[in-house]
Amino acid sequence: MKSNEDSFETLFAAEYARVAGIANRVLADPHEAEDVAQEVFIDFNRLHSAAAPYAAAWLYRAAAHKALNRVRGRRRRERRELSQAADEGGRAMDPQHVFETSEDRRMVRQALARLAPKPATVLVLRASGLSYAEVAQALGVGIGQIGTLLRRAEAALRKEVTRGTSL
Amino acid sequence: MAHLSEGTLRRKFDDEDALTASDTRHFSACADCQARYAAIAEDARAVAGVLTLPDIKVDIASALSHVRSAPAAQPRFGIRLPIIRPASRPAMGIVAAAAVIVALVVTGVAQDALVFFQPKTVEPVAVSVADLQSLSGLSEYGTFAWTKEPAPQVVTSAAEAGTVSGLHVPVVGPLPNGVSSTITYAAMPEAVGVFTFDAAKAAAAAAKAGKTLPTMPSGMDGSKLTVTVGPAVVEIFGNLNAGAAENATQLNLPQLIVGASSSPVVTSTGVTAQELENYLLSQPGVSPKLAAAIRSIKDPSTTLPIPIPIELATSKNVQVQGVNGLALGDNTGLGAAVIWIKSGTVYGVAGTVKQSEILDVANHLH
Repeated sequence: MKSNEDSFETLFAAEYARVAGIANRVLADPHEAEDVAQEVFIDFNRLHSAAAPYAAAWLYRAAAHKALNRVRGRRRRERRELSQAADEGGRAMDPQHVFETSEDRRMVRQALARLAPKPATVLVLRASGLSYAEVAQALGVGIGQIGTLLRRAEAALRKEVTRGTSL
Repeated sequence: MAHLSEGTLRRKFDDEDALTASDTRHFSACADCQARYAAIAEDARAVAGVLTLPDIKVDIASALSHVRSAPAAQPRFGIRLPIIRPASRPAMGIVAAAAVIVALVVTGVAQDALVFFQPKTVEPVAVSVADLQSLSGLSEYGTFAWTKEPAPQVVTSAAEAGTVSGLHVPVVGPLPNGVSSTITYAAMPEAVGVFTFDAAKAAAAAAKAGKTLPTMPSGMDGSKLTVTVGPAVVEIFGNLNAGAAENATQLNLPQLIVGASSSPVVTSTGVTAQELENYLLSQPGVSPKLAAAIRSIKDPSTTLPIPIPIELATSKNVQVQGVNGLALGDNTGLGAAVIWIKSGTVYGVAGTVKQSEILDVANHLH
């Protein structure tokens, strides 16, 4: 039988990239996303057994919530985005494009953070590649509700992004 | 046949085969469903577009090493969230000790009937963790039994919390930055416990500890303290990370907790409350420092002593909602709390935010 240490390592190896990906989906910042992912695993390890059947679902939901909370609480990341977008733009960087990329991401994240936690989490988890069943398990809802939740969340996000644009 | 639901149409966008045969037939013949699907698909595509990002590249070994080197959890006020296991024996012991602490400050006139204690303000009492632990030993001097067991429960809404508790559920104003607006509600109806002083038990406990029981006032044996706590409501803000019900007692202190409870009420029979207070304070388990601190409270019949573990927290008097309150901040800077009593209700706000933010939340409760 595996020790809890071994189980935790197995869980970490299996889920870390996905958990970091979920956080990055919200934050659009790989470094900060890894911070969040590591905090989530640290919290999990303090509170739960790595062999718990709900481990992955717990990690996914915690990653989304923690990342959304960071967006709600912060503004200072905005400066960093400009340089990051510049990196992605490469040598043929167009300053206007850099600004637009960074500004779009900022608006999308802030719009996400303005949504209620459940729709925001549905969007983030689904966009991170989770199946309907996995999203349902993470949220503790029936799989039959996911389509409706997604539909409403997408309509709400579009509305929020549009509202942000007009401001 | 009825039109296809939004959820069904949304699922079709992700999986063409998700529709049943009859749904498929309906869809291919229904212009209305097709138009709704087109709008749903457009939203889904637009959202997928704005949420698309390059894949994150991670170094699992290095991340694991970082996680492994994280320090052990620090105590936050030395507590974990007390949800909610009514049958927990340690919890009952703590509640019994708390009931005795409340009883310790009962004072007043000689009486044959009842003496009422209903606090109207709060005072800090500095105690060490060892003092707090020793208080549980007071259960060796009597028996504590619930006549109406505490039945805390997690409820789904403020309205349900109000129904269960019969209290007005406080509404918060603006929340501090970073605090989630997700609220978990808990509520508890009134609970009643009786502490019965037992001279034989007390003598046995003292003898076991190699100590002599202080001389007992007449009428002390069998005297009773009836403690009524609650009803109470608690609002917990933030992600509770509730993985499973069986782990509900293993949650971290969340970002913010707002609580309200009717002031505890204590009645006593058998001896005067002053005698009982003095006698319990003279027991071997109560440190002289704690006893002196409790005695120094000016108006003990109307004051609720709040034990402040001196290793963990500091306290200061503040004005909250126009009354005297007590603000706590622990020495680690990880959290703060404020407690006050207004119109017969004890209020508390605590969280892992700055003390100024806690006070702001407290002053905006309505």
